[in-house]
Amino acid sequence: MYKYFISAFLFFVLVDGFSQAKETAITETKKDTIIYKSAYGIRLGIDISKPILGSISDSYSGFEIVGDYRISKRFFVAAELGYEEQNSIEDYTDSSTKGSYAKLGFNYNAYENWLDMNNEIFVGYRYGFSLFDQTLNSFTPNVNSSYFPANSINNPVTASSLNAHWSEFIFGLKVETFKNLFVSASASYKVLMSVKEPEKFKTLYAPGFNRIFESSTGFGFNYTVSYLISFKKK
Amino acid sequence: MKKIVFLFILTLIIFSACEKDDFCTKNPVTPNLVLRFYDTNSRGTLKDVSALYVWAEGKDTIFKNVITDSIYIPLNSLANETIYNFSKGNVVNQFTIKYTTQDDYVSRSCGFRILFNEVSFESNTTWIKDFTPKALTTIDNQNTAHVQIFH
Repeated sequence: MYKYFISAFLFFVLVDGFSQAKETAITETKKDTIIYKSAYGIRLGIDISKPILGSISDSYSGFEIVGDYRISKRFFVAAELGYEEQNSIEDYTDSSTKGSYAKLGFNYNAYENWLDMNNEIFVGYRYGFSLFDQTLNSFTPNVNSSYFPANSINNPVTASSLNAHWSEFIFGLKVETFKNLFVSASASYKVLMSVKEPEKFKTLYAPGFNRIFESSTGFGFNYTVSYLISFKKK
Repeated sequence: MKKIVFLFILTLIIFSACEKDDFCTKNPVTPNLVLRFYDTNSRGTLKDVSALYVWAEGKDTIFKNVITDSIYIPLNSLANETIYNFSKGNVVNQFTIKYTTQDDYVSRSCGFRILFNEVSFESNTTWIKDFTPKALTTIDNQNTAHVQIFH
């Protein structure tokens, strides 16, 4: 049985050889010349999570403008500008912070797009700087005793022109939903480099940085919608 | 594959950086006044006070019929003096502590504590024969006894 199969294959090899010899003389295969070009330009947008959070929460309000500029296939120069107000209510203190911030850095797109898609899985770095005022609205001394309880002291003290500098590491996703319209979600881990503390108190929150943890670190989340103004394609 | 690596790093960062500054673990935050009782005849040795009652002027009793050689008592942060009554076998000795208070920031979870400065002590010398020191510049911890009481 196998013998017949093998013989049959041999027969086809021969036929194939004949047909190939004929055809090569007539046509030549064309080289695929389609290259998918991607857009280069400036992308501007806003952080949609901050106004939403501000409308839900009484203790927060904020606004952020985001932008990036593509400099190479994978690198983008990115910046954020914003303003935030936060009321931090702790067990023994009630303080509020308000001020503006700026962040500047870059994103690296680690995602290899298919065809003409423009999506990103990116990592990034930012240098952040913020200028703010912090008011200690009230506090209750922690006397850990019900024998002599302490009263809440409502004597607001404002420390103005405080500042903070930090480094931020970002991981996120960007998806082109409609032509040139991008939706992005990212998370960031921040490490405080320096902060100006108020007298006899501590900076608990910095705009752009969010809550300052005991180890001088912080976290942030961004949900942005941005529009690409394309200059050229390559 | 890259995606998995990034997610892994992110998770690692988040979990490694979480910490417990939501709970105040420092105890006590505001220092109490620590007293130790010594034998007045042999001032190096501790001596128990038996049937000891302790209460602040106009307040409830904090120590009720205890036998001890050391106690710690809170000070009133809203006033500049606290008057305590120490009763040993129905003999009451009034002990007055005078001070100034100062707010001192500790941490987010612990808030502010009170430091007691320029502290001075007075006693009406009934069963307490003597005490030392008569004054302290500050009470900012309770690691050691602040006052030695001889009886």
